[in-house]
Amino acid sequence: MTNTNMTDTNQITAGLPGEAVKVPSRLSWTRIKDHPTLVIGGGIVFIMTLLAIFAPLVAPHDPYFQNIAARTIPPVWYEGGTRDHILGTDQLGRDYLSRLIYGARISLLIGFSAVAIAGVIGTTLGLLGGYFGGRVDMVVTFLTTVRLSLPIILVALAIVAVFGGSITIVVIVLGLLKWDRFAVVVRSSAAQISRLDYINSARAAGASTFYILTREVLPNLAPQLIVIATIEIASAILMEAALSFLGLGVQPPTPSWGLMISEAKSYMFFSFWLIAIPGVALATLVFAINLAGDGLRDLISPDGRG
Amino acid sequence: MTALLTVDDLKVDIKTRSGTLHAVRGLSFTVNAGETLCIVGESGCGKSITSLALMGLLPRTAQRSAARLRFGDTDLTDARHARKVRGNDMVMIFQEPMTALNPAFPIGDQLTEAYLYHKGGTKAAARARAIEMLDLVGIGSPAERLSQFPHQLSGGLRQRVMIAMALMTDPKLLIADEPTTALDVTIQAQILRLLRDLQQKLGIAVIFITHDLGLVSRIADRVMVMYAGAMVEEGTAAEIFGAPRHPYTRALIDCIPQPGKTERGAPLGTIAGVVPSLIGTVQGCAFRTRCAFARTDCAASVPERAEGSHRWICIHADHPARMTETA
Amino acid sequence: MGIYLAKRIGLAVLVALFVSILAFGLLRLQGNAATALAGEGASPQDIAIIVETYGLDRPLVVQYATWLGNALTGDFGTSYFFKRPVAELIVSKVGNTVTLAVLSLGIALALSIPLGVLAAVYSGSWIDRVCSLISLMGQALPSFFLALCLVMVFAIQLRMFPASGTGSWQHFVLPAVTLGYYITPPFMRLVRAGMIDALSNDYVRTARAKGLPAHRVVLKHALRNALVPVVGLVTVQLGLLIGGSVVIESIFALDGLGYLAYQSISYRDFPVLQAVVLLLSLVYVVLTLLSDIVNAWLDPRLRVS
Repeated sequence: MTNTNMTDTNQITAGLPGEAVKVPSRLSWTRIKDHPTLVIGGGIVFIMTLLAIFAPLVAPHDPYFQNIAARTIPPVWYEGGTRDHILGTDQLGRDYLSRLIYGARISLLIGFSAVAIAGVIGTTLGLLGGYFGGRVDMVVTFLTTVRLSLPIILVALAIVAVFGGSITIVVIVLGLLKWDRFAVVVRSSAAQISRLDYINSARAAGASTFYILTREVLPNLAPQLIVIATIEIASAILMEAALSFLGLGVQPPTPSWGLMISEAKSYMFFSFWLIAIPGVALATLVFAINLAGDGLRDLISPDGRG
Repeated sequence: MTALLTVDDLKVDIKTRSGTLHAVRGLSFTVNAGETLCIVGESGCGKSITSLALMGLLPRTAQRSAARLRFGDTDLTDARHARKVRGNDMVMIFQEPMTALNPAFPIGDQLTEAYLYHKGGTKAAARARAIEMLDLVGIGSPAERLSQFPHQLSGGLRQRVMIAMALMTDPKLLIADEPTTALDVTIQAQILRLLRDLQQKLGIAVIFITHDLGLVSRIADRVMVMYAGAMVEEGTAAEIFGAPRHPYTRALIDCIPQPGKTERGAPLGTIAGVVPSLIGTVQGCAFRTRCAFARTDCAASVPERAEGSHRWICIHADHPARMTETA
Repeated sequence: MGIYLAKRIGLAVLVALFVSILAFGLLRLQGNAATALAGEGASPQDIAIIVETYGLDRPLVVQYATWLGNALTGDFGTSYFFKRPVAELIVSKVGNTVTLAVLSLGIALALSIPLGVLAAVYSGSWIDRVCSLISLMGQALPSFFLALCLVMVFAIQLRMFPASGTGSWQHFVLPAVTLGYYITPPFMRLVRAGMIDALSNDYVRTARAKGLPAHRVVLKHALRNALVPVVGLVTVQLGLLIGGSVVIESIFALDGLGYLAYQSISYRDFPVLQAVVLLLSLVYVVLTLLSDIVNAWLDPRLRVS
């Protein structure tokens, strides 16, 4: 009797506002598995990343080896396909599956590196503007407005045209152009956080500005930053592909998916699979990254707006 | 008297991340034609949810169930029938007049909308009716008001417009969910007087939802006190204020400052503790954690007691304080 | 309102000026424009003539000032490649780009408004999930890949529309569909978010309390209010439209500003490229300025302060 009474009292007092319901730790598996989009998207990205990293071990052939005698062999499921080249060969007789796997390397490498640069630039600007306000904030807002008014693809094309296309140039250009979203979000969050009590107490305790920004403000922004980074990586990958497709990105013979589609254009009537295979690969990777990003956003802000 | 609204075992469950929240737990009551029923309780006791449930306006995450929910001869659990009653015979006004009107349309359009939809007729007829109603709620130069936008009106005026809008279809029941809470004190009194006058003039039944027991004493025919999603006491205004039986009702009444009795500057009564979480089941009396007269068996099931029209749910047959006084 | 307006316009002018410096400086980054222009294997005499003709030996600041001064009077110089005044060239292409932009914007709105409204009304349900899946897939599909797929089906196999070029209305169909599809997902997300916001408003509850049918509540009371902020946000997304038109005009060889920019990049035709970069940036600056002014005018709180 006493026993039931006690559990019953617990039931009533468990949800008192004073002792708010225990929030499970942010990224525990129990919460992640409630978000199938995150599991599916993250899973696909993980597999593609593994393939990209271990490309030399996974790829059946050398992606650069040309064999003029074995040009445009169709994939294995078409008539005339062979087991040796599961996805066929391209117009220069290179194994398409191997080029596709190495292409994932280029996409992911450029996507991650460019967004790393953009993230550092945007976060720094946003932190400065949001934390200091006033003049500093005006400069940050101004730079963001200028950046937003420049058509990113056009500027990227122009810079690549001036400096010549290479992976490094594409990474730098995209890194220098894609920081705006980081800056905007970090700026407004940093402005909010810097007004909170514990930041003031850190300030009162004599913590340096750098310490406050990096140890107190930044960790609070981490979840949001991860979500933006995910979306921006997907967008950077698409942009690299578009630049390479237009001939002003990664240069041949490097296997970039955008470039592969561009090179196959003249063969599209007879060998549309040359375009379809890298196109589908690109769409799948970007879709998976965005799916994971959506899942992450739901995980972080459960009201699911925006 | 004929029952206009019959509510039997009304329940509202809301799905949340931490479990199902039972916002309303088996509520039964009736409203007779032409009478004013006040539903009273602290915020979060489920009184507003109850009003939304009656109107069928619950958010999609909320699940309503009832053994019986009838308006006159109409079964409100049938969505098709309910829609003919809602906004027509049974209308509602809300707490926030500032946001309850659509900023994008002139008030004339918003006034005539429900009338045209439910009653049909010409736009001119609807306009004439709107002018008549605005006049009835005491808005000057009503014809000119029709083309004004909500942001051009003060809060008090907007609440009058809301009332006029509700009266357009000549309703039988008006549900008012804290209609004066968001207004200034002087405006509050005006709106309250207006509601009381209209109720007497037009013979409309009113369900008045409020947390302010002081206000209840001025308008109620009958009072229902709610706590943690359930009824704790119900009776005529005289019964509730004259002889409250439930310790919670008594505590609420003690919180009202009374002219002459309450000393200036003296602290008003408060009820210690907080409302329990409504997630999961509550066994026994939900108020026992804050009740000065709680006994161990309050955790077991507590009987519903009745004395004529006066009902209450408590382990004690009468209010314990009074029993000791008389003893 | 007056002060806000002055500040906002001042900012726009400042941004425009800064953009013009970038547009000018960008293409001078790699030292010698004359060598680039003359092409490989040009003789020193040829280069000297080019330096002379285009005034490339003067200090950069002077070159910039001259260029900006001329640009303000509508003189963007002469195209290296087309040998025609840049301004004339741009005027002749602008119509095609505007047509493409309007058509694709129409397609995007026609798709994104119904889908966004549907997703918002049933937010959290399977309908919402299907809509967000469509939007995610749209975002993932590279526009140039979609363009080639459309060409394959509608130009090569069905022979319904031309694969490239300019001239008739048929030439605009495939580019407009591609570009419209490209900008639909972000629009749809904006409409959805705006509608979810609008639907949570008290006045929507009032409308429901009137017993109005659901479609009246959603389409009249919520959508009307949701569209106001959405229109503002859509203008901000126009950068996407401008950038997208460069890629898509190039693929379809549609003779607009984007294709001109692409050609000028390929031919290192700096006067044209500078002018187009500046112009497209200015379009964005002006449109966001207009949208801010309209928003300020619509929002009584901003109007007062």
